[in-house]
Amino acid sequence: MKYLLWVLLSLFLVSCSNDYVAIENTLLTVEVPKNFPELAYDIDANPPTQLGFELGKKLFYDGKLSSNGFISCGFCHEQSSAFTHHGHQFSHGVNDLEGTRNTPSISNMAFFNEFAWDGATSHLDLFPIIPITNEVEMGETMTGVINKLIADAVYQREFEMAFEEGGVNAENFLKAISQFMVMMISSNSKYDKYKRNEEGGQLTETEAMGLTVFQQKCASCHATDLFTDGSFRNNGLPPNPQLNDLGRVEVSGSDSDKYKFKVPSLRNVSLTAPYMHDGRFGSLESVLNFYTNGMVDSETLDDSLQTQDGLGIALNDEEKEGLLAFFEILTDYTFINDERFSEY
Amino acid sequence: MKFINRILIGTLVLSAFASCSSDDDTTDELMGENSITLEFDNAVGSDDLLLATSSYTNSQNETLTITRLNYIVSNFRLTNNMGEVFTYEKDDSYFVTSEETGNTEVVLENIPAGTYISVTFGIGVDQEKYLQGAEGQGDFLTVAEETNMMWSWQAGYKFLNFEGTFTSETVTEATDFKVHMGSHGSSLDNYKEVTLSLGTDALVSDEMSPIIHLVADASVILDGENKLSLSEQSVIMVSEEKSPLVALNTASMFTVDHVHNGTGDSH
Ligand code: HEC
Ligand code: HEC
Repeated sequence: MKYLLWVLLSLFLVSCSNDYVAIENTLLTVEVPKNFPELAYDIDANPPTQLGFELGKKLFYDGKLSSNGFISCGFCHEQSSAFTHHGHQFSHGVNDLEGTRNTPSISNMAFFNEFAWDGATSHLDLFPIIPITNEVEMGETMTGVINKLIADAVYQREFEMAFEEGGVNAENFLKAISQFMVMMISSNSKYDKYKRNEEGGQLTETEAMGLTVFQQKCASCHATDLFTDGSFRNNGLPPNPQLNDLGRVEVSGSDSDKYKFKVPSLRNVSLTAPYMHDGRFGSLESVLNFYTNGMVDSETLDDSLQTQDGLGIALNDEEKEGLLAFFEILTDYTFINDERFSEY
Repeated sequence: MKFINRILIGTLVLSAFASCSSDDDTTDELMGENSITLEFDNAVGSDDLLLATSSYTNSQNETLTITRLNYIVSNFRLTNNMGEVFTYEKDDSYFVTSEETGNTEVVLENIPAGTYISVTFGIGVDQEKYLQGAEGQGDFLTVAEETNMMWSWQAGYKFLNFEGTFTSETVTEATDFKVHMGSHGSSLDNYKEVTLSLGTDALVSDEMSPIIHLVADASVILDGENKLSLSEQSVIMVSEEKSPLVALNTASMFTVDHVHNGTGDSH
């Protein structure tokens, strides 16, 4: 009811001034795919609307959010590679400075509670502060960005139309970007169709075998149809001596979190190379080889990876082939071609 | 008629007397609402805190020159003499006090009339507020950013930003120290609350708008109940072991020095 009123109100407001035509703002529905877990994002606190979403998308692709006016969110998160930074081990930001972490995919963010490899923030709305203020990413300040937007008459109008109150401010800015990201749901891969018994969901023998191997050997961490349980774990990667990225410790300050990173979702994984928090692996074959014989032991190595037979996960060639075929069916072509999310 | 007048005047005089003493029943006569000002006087021990000027030696024989002392205070609650608690509107209850900008006053508006005997507040930002996302933070994010209280790499808040230089027996050249304390993502909550008895009742009414003077003794941050040596570690940020100690010390640095009752314009 409240929203209906608001729609009417914004219609009314717009029609008061004759500068621009009446645009109706409408609520968007966030549909939870049948095979997904519950939403983590509180939709009621920031219900996506058509105009809020469009504003969020414009902001996502606007270099204004960075100090040099050139680096947008979309610069590092490219749709064609499921919103990762294709071909870059580390993210490139302003002045060509490099970060130390690999850009993860942005999709299904509304289903997560922790963000970034180390869980630096536990709310999606607040995440954009991190890249915006990071001097090797966008090198701006929140205040600086808001002031740039206030100085822009078009943005001012768009903020006013998208939000009931407040106009251009940090709260509405973050809400708009979240509305865009909340709508970015990837749930139409062949695997999803298989799970939901939909047309086009027939698995080949190899794919089906790969799925079985995955369920037996990987799904304890890469759980649910998001392929992550959202936890932080050490999967046995030898620490890169040049970076010595401690992972979750950076946030928690706890030695017991050394070298633990968020279990990444594997959706669209065929498109998101390179792999791991530091992008060390260029191919999925290398990832599998790592799981079979590349692990190193350490105090925080996940218990499940230390067995009587030694470190790692045993996979024979046939199983590897199955897993590689399985990875392919996680690609969601609808998502990467969805015009609602595309820059142009 | 005359007689009745006498009685009336008598009652008026009597009640005027009554309102001068801080008897328990004064609340009855305090009407309306007004603001309460909390003035945070930053100090080091019994000395005034002068940024980048004086040096202070603590019980661990470390000599500190302080260049920054900012902290977030929040979630104000006031308890009256009837034991009733007035909770200040949560959305408006977050403040940065900063010695360097001189912004050390918190004004709580529209407090209902009453005789208040204690104040409770938090140091920092509670998880509940943080997890309200953009909606919950409102403009406080930009306030925090402008006062060096945004912990931007984790999109959170520094609850305390305490910086300067120090020397000690082992560190003879003036060396920077930085103590930034806040919650550690979802893994460690460093938000703390304190309740302070006011000593003198703070009276609020249409005419009365009290000022509560609090002293924040910055020496307690490192040299309070818990001892933290800068010679051992001069940059304390996300340490699972040390930051909770800083949080506990910080919460215990406040005392109420005195309360001014009156119209609110005299200090
Ligand atoms: C310079 C490249 C770069 C830019 C620009 C950038 N990002 Fe990222 N993004 C990254 C990297 C790298 C990470 C991983 C960070 C980490 O783990 O420390 C990341 C992580 C994320 C995540 C968390 C994903 C997850 O699964 O945890 C979200 C959400 C996100 N970015 C959104 C944005 C938004 C919104 C913007 C624009 C305001 C943006 N990014 C700008 C590189 C970038
Ligand atoms: C003990 C938990 C655990 C198990 C079991 C596990 N993984 Fe992982 N996986 C992780 C973690 C944690 C990471 C991220 C590590 C990092 O970057 O430091 C990861 C990363 C990956 C990545 C890289 C994804 C990306 O976007 O960078 C792939 C691919 C992957 N795992 C596949 C598998 C497969 C296949 C299996 C089964 C053979 C498996 N995992 C078993 C925890 C696990």
